Amino acid sequence: MKVEIGHGSGGRLTRELIEELFLKHFDFSELHTLSDATYLQGFEKIAITTDSYVVQPIFFPGGDIGKLSVSGTVNDLTVSGSIPNYITASFILEEGLDFSELERVVSSMAKTAKEAGVKIVAGDTKVVERGKCDKLYINTTGVGRVVKELSPKLVEPGDLIIVSGSVGEHGISISLAREEFEVETEVKSDCAPLNSLLVPLFKYEGLKFMRDATRGGLATVVVELASCANLGALLYEEKIPVREDVKFICDMLGYDPLYLANEGKAVIVVSKEEADSVLKELRSHPLGKEASVIGEITGQSGVFLKTKVGGLRRLELLDEDPLPRIC
Amino acid sequence: MDRIRELVNLIHSLAPKDKKLKIMNVCGSHEHTITYSGLRSLMPKNIELVPGPGCPVCVCSESDIINAINLSKRDDVILATYGDMLRVPTKVGSIRSSGGNYLMVSAPHEVLKVALENPQKKVVFFSVGFETTTAPTAALLEMGVPDNLFILTSQKLTPEIMEVLVNDSEVGVDAFVAPGHVSAIVGSKAWEIFPKNYGIPTVVAGFEPENLLLAIVKILYQIKKGKAELENVYKGVVKPEGNRRAQELIYKYFYKTSVNWRGIGYIPDSGLELKEEYGYLDAKKVFNLPEIKEEKVPGCICHEIVLGKSYPTDCKLFKKVCTPRNPKGPCMVSHEGACNIWYRFS
Repeated sequence: MKVEIGHGSGGRLTRELIEELFLKHFDFSELHTLSDATYLQGFEKIAITTDSYVVQPIFFPGGDIGKLSVSGTVNDLTVSGSIPNYITASFILEEGLDFSELERVVSSMAKTAKEAGVKIVAGDTKVVERGKCDKLYINTTGVGRVVKELSPKLVEPGDLIIVSGSVGEHGISISLAREEFEVETEVKSDCAPLNSLLVPLFKYEGLKFMRDATRGGLATVVVELASCANLGALLYEEKIPVREDVKFICDMLGYDPLYLANEGKAVIVVSKEEADSVLKELRSHPLGKEASVIGEITGQSGVFLKTKVGGLRRLELLDEDPLPRIC
Repeated sequence: MDRIRELVNLIHSLAPKDKKLKIMNVCGSHEHTITYSGLRSLMPKNIELVPGPGCPVCVCSESDIINAINLSKRDDVILATYGDMLRVPTKVGSIRSSGGNYLMVSAPHEVLKVALENPQKKVVFFSVGFETTTAPTAALLEMGVPDNLFILTSQKLTPEIMEVLVNDSEVGVDAFVAPGHVSAIVGSKAWEIFPKNYGIPTVVAGFEPENLLLAIVKILYQIKKGKAELENVYKGVVKPEGNRRAQELIYKYFYKTSVNWRGIGYIPDSGLELKEEYGYLDAKKVFNLPEIKEEKVPGCICHEIVLGKSYPTDCKLFKKVCTPRNPKGPCMVSHEGACNIWYRFS
């Protein structure tokens, strides 16, 4: 079966799509009222975030657009010091999309939501004519209960910077899944909800700032943080975990792993005193086994990387998507 | 790591105390290693590592890129080229911003597959770069190409542009680090003229930081002894005579001619075009492509910067109207261009 324009008409076909596909997978009681809006339990202070997902291809090693759309929003809430609770999901579907593909995406969203302990509680579906979108786009909005307010303003010189694991895998996996290069590797996207890894860190007083290192990569996160905090940072290249195969592909194409996207890695800034405990806690979780202290916040402006050979390289915001070099 | 420290210490002890030295690389990959590993920060203050005209993206003529953009807009054409060519700006935009049907390849043989899979289209491979990319393009032609595959060539020659550099009396280059990849094709002998005829120490180097530092040490030893020689610290890859088979293939399909270097102008015998008998493969002939006049940007001194005569900071446009997001001259175009590097690292 294929998605037809009628599936977005608001009529019988839409109803069938919702009942037979979405509700089948999104088994959350709040959603089943099928009302215009859903009533939720309130919190004293909530965090809200929204993000649209347009990744191509929609299935890639280590994940798919559905897993990404839930993980990404869960992670944005988590790194803001909140516990993710509810998510909405809006779909823009291309006429002609195979139902089997849609179902794979939807079931992957449901699985990821269960894993992350969040409920999908509202949604919308639109169908656009063939060629007007590439298979499907998803927007998710998430709300969570704020437990610990984090901010670049809390960051001070001497604080340590931790990354929760190896960087660059998502970027490489997407590049290779697009068949842009003839390389065979086992690099998989790191796409994963990080709340079970990061929420336990909320108890640390010295936890000051977290961000998931998505587009722009690790370097962009640290540069943005330093600029917001009016401070600088010094990172140590040899402390930054990068898988050997990612390193190899980066060398070959002239990519810099520090600027490649991740979908399951967080940058964490913590006081020096609590860094050891935070690191230990991270490493005790399967998603944080390779967590590492990669540098420190400094008083002078600019973010620098101490390279493996001992040189200093200034890190800047990512200008444009990385492209392979000629030679 | 100890070896690196040892080399850096040697560089500091060998560096002349009383004068400035300008060591020029003419290879995008050397420049990549230098900036990526932060080698400039390890040098004594009076040793400058300057990038010459080694960034293939920067020196590709605007006319060739505009022709590529226009070809990609034709319904019957698919344009294929290397990744970093896609964003090189021209007065009509870049291939990525203004082009139509284009795709990225990482090696010439990939276009063969594209041509075979799209028999109803004309596939044009925009072949850009130095000897290192010419050789695989020649190998592609040698394999035999389908009727719907054409080559838009913008190939340039490294030893030839270096000779232009040293022939100019104003150029204050004290030594060359010669490019390892190019040397693998042309052979280390190709650089002999520089120490011999012009008294410039020249060392062929590879791309690991350690190897580049070793090349700098060798250069400093030569300067200390008042000698100018050709040395090769990339012997595992570079032979004196180079890769004969690659050279034969290149000159089977291409001939040396005057080509336009962006920001520098036409330089006799500094590039390659397809030979007359392969005109049926030559996109310039098949599609009757015009030579588009390159308008010099008033105030831009890229031609002097590329030749090592001036610094980016000498240019009135630098950091004011000319930035990596809005480059006016070729040296600001790619991460390997001198102005772009100065912009980001100074």
